[in-house]
Amino acid sequence: MSFQIPIGPQHPALKEPISLRMTVEGEVITGVDIRLGYNHRGLEKLAEDRNWTQNIYLVERICGICSHSHATCYVQGVEKLMELAPPKRGLYIRYLVSELERIHSHLLWLGVAGHEAGFDSFFMYVWRDREVVMDLLELITGNRVHYAINTLGGVRRDLDAGQIAKIRDGLVVLRKRSEYYFHIGANEPSFVARIAGVGYLSKEKAVALCAVGPTARASGWARDVRKEDPYAVYDEVDFDVATADSCDVLGRVVVRVKELLESYKICEQILDKLPPGDIAVKAPRKAKPGEVVSRYEAPRGENIHYIKSNGTDKPERLKVRAPTLGNYPATVEMLRKGFIADIPLIFAAIDPCICCAERSVTLIDAGSGEESVARMSDLRRRAIVRHENAPLKRNAVWPL
Amino acid sequence: MKIAVFLPELLRHLFKKPATVDYPFKKLEVPKDFRGTPYLNPEMCIACRACERDCPAEAIEISSVNEAEKRFRMVIHNDRCIHCAQCVDSCPTTPKAMQMDSLFEIACDDRHKLKTDWVYVRAVLKPKAAAPAAAPQAAEPKT
Amino acid sequence: MAVVRTLLYLVVYPGLLFLFLYSTFCEWFDRKVYARFQNRMGPTHTGRFGLLQPIADFVKLLSKEDVVPEAADKRLFAVLPIIGLAVVSTAGLLLPVWNFDLANPGWTSFSGDIIVMLYLLSLPTLILFLAAWSSTNLFSTIGGARVLTMLFGYEVPLFLAVLSPAILANSWRLAEIAAFYQRKPLLLLPNLLAFIIALIAVQAKLERTPFDIPHAETEIVGGTFTEYSGKKLALFRLTFDIELVVSSGLLAAVFLGGFPGGAVVGFIHFVVKTLFVIFLLCLLRALTSRIRVDQVISFAWKYLAPLAVLQLLAIILLKGFLP
Repeated sequence: MSFQIPIGPQHPALKEPISLRMTVEGEVITGVDIRLGYNHRGLEKLAEDRNWTQNIYLVERICGICSHSHATCYVQGVEKLMELAPPKRGLYIRYLVSELERIHSHLLWLGVAGHEAGFDSFFMYVWRDREVVMDLLELITGNRVHYAINTLGGVRRDLDAGQIAKIRDGLVVLRKRSEYYFHIGANEPSFVARIAGVGYLSKEKAVALCAVGPTARASGWARDVRKEDPYAVYDEVDFDVATADSCDVLGRVVVRVKELLESYKICEQILDKLPPGDIAVKAPRKAKPGEVVSRYEAPRGENIHYIKSNGTDKPERLKVRAPTLGNYPATVEMLRKGFIADIPLIFAAIDPCICCAERSVTLIDAGSGEESVARMSDLRRRAIVRHENAPLKRNAVWPL
Repeated sequence: MKIAVFLPELLRHLFKKPATVDYPFKKLEVPKDFRGTPYLNPEMCIACRACERDCPAEAIEISSVNEAEKRFRMVIHNDRCIHCAQCVDSCPTTPKAMQMDSLFEIACDDRHKLKTDWVYVRAVLKPKAAAPAAAPQAAEPKT
Repeated sequence: MAVVRTLLYLVVYPGLLFLFLYSTFCEWFDRKVYARFQNRMGPTHTGRFGLLQPIADFVKLLSKEDVVPEAADKRLFAVLPIIGLAVVSTAGLLLPVWNFDLANPGWTSFSGDIIVMLYLLSLPTLILFLAAWSSTNLFSTIGGARVLTMLFGYEVPLFLAVLSPAILANSWRLAEIAAFYQRKPLLLLPNLLAFIIALIAVQAKLERTPFDIPHAETEIVGGTFTEYSGKKLALFRLTFDIELVVSSGLLAAVFLGGFPGGAVVGFIHFVVKTLFVIFLLCLLRALTSRIRVDQVISFAWKYLAPLAVLQLLAIILLKGFLP
């Protein structure tokens, strides 16, 4: 008996709305279809309406977990456009936060993997210890989630000796705990039975489907922007690209834990080499006309921002390619021939950030359910008509 | 693979104090530089509108109340504020007219109650020496 | 007079009221211990130490909106939670909690009650399957299929494991089995393997991690309970709580030497021993991650069933050597 089960848009395994339509036969998946567009926020359009400074905070809100990656990717690009050279100390602090964010993101993922597999004790312990790095981030930047430490031409907060000592202490604790969780994750029989051999993605497929980040590295494809195209400080620190050859969810766990250990190494090196001096240079309000592509290795993979300037204080176009989008084709491949029970694990293993990747919408007729394509001009016309006809809601008015 | 590999950790924590903070009854301290709620020091504000221009959430609003008296009104819409503290960075005065405190429990059942406003007379730019945080080379008073 | 007494037995002790209160206490204990294993607080604020939290949850569910799916068989859908509760409560009556001495056995103690109890404990599984099937939801249907698939895995090892001490005691009556092991407590040791097998099987029967497959929330939402809400869900949850008490009571009676010592001491025995069994079940829950349904079946037939048969053989041999 073959039937279709809808995973999403609302489902306990998904933290954000996306629709995975699974055709299953008994417990075995035979067909997969991914539908996006439930969380489109019109962010790129919004960015065209804000000046360069305001946009730092806007792009930071593309994602809640890798907020710093988007902000940094954007800031890198704009600095290139404005021909700014941030001072060394500023860069070191910026990429220290970057690595701390990678640590928090990977620990979060490790906990989520435990939860998706029903291993709640693991989940609770990993998240308890993730608080250490969250507190460090709060200490450095003043907030737990949206750090807002980037500014055009450097960073906004300096580190003092007390903070550096606290970061070092925190890193010691985190390294010990990460090694312990690696030991647990690789040895608990019921957990390993769930993740070993699940969601197979061969290296050839990973290359063909353009997988990015830990998903690609777990298939034995050592791809890392930090190594391939070392931006800012990454050619001055020594680290390895973590890979695994098992091509399954277990491999993705291994890659992420190895990356955690590499990140601790990078953080310590950054703290050791932290140069004295200024943390920021003053940025102009306008950028020269031009366009730039900025690449950044986010915790989930390669993040790309394309920025086009027309000489004003606002970008003409901002295009965001979040890493999750690059991993969707590979996910379809991984899910095929799996069990229903593996869906949450396989899908979670790409560490999906759904609203990061929502750059599109599907137009669906609410009555008939038919999908259609519309021209941009047509959409704009419809939006204006709708806006003019809509009655004012009492609470929706923001008095200015 | 080992059976019950998590056992020592679990048993060790059985009689330990939980890691959870019993939040509304006990509160954690926030760090020194925590970005809480923005507020204005009206006697320092020169009404240059740099904060209004740079605020990503358009939460700051400065309007003129009386042109002749140079009286201004500033409203901070805390229901829109994203607590990025860019207003503090953009503020050109020393010491800053825009400041952040460390309040984070500002939740409220009506968004209109979250507004805070100040009506004040624009501060006149004083000579730099009068400012307490002035750099040493600016010691000679400029007239 | 006899009618009044029977009614009291049924409604107050050891009937519904006692089972309700004790099962909510056990749920609290389970949640608290589970939370402490995970370095969390667990229920804290409702009543002293959060003791009233399970009752508060129950009352909250009772007051919630009760939705019945359009396509469901309305009568079957509504009646199943009540039947489930009735079945496990009946099984609870058979526990030798309150009839401690054999000379004056309780009115529910009879030869063969262990078989009846095992049978009554199997029924909720079938009721769950029916509930899942009658709610016509896709996730429920998958959950129902998983319930039945798992049943084939754990039921045989459970029966074999529970019956081996009964064979050694040469009785099918719970009170007699308990009395036998009170006389010869050393003979409990050969049943240790059976105890472990029974613990695992009971864990599967109660659908707790690693066997919470039929209602694995990250896979199939609420599984069997997806469409249940309000009062019906409350009754199902109560059913599971009572089933937890009854099955831990059964394991305590068979493997831990029953509850000797008159009304007060016997009751303390009952509480301590059931909580010990629940503690072990809770530890198992905290230690493992959920496995797949095919892994349950292969685990049950590769390891549990052969070990249970081995245990049975060993017991039969041992019985030959005993005087």
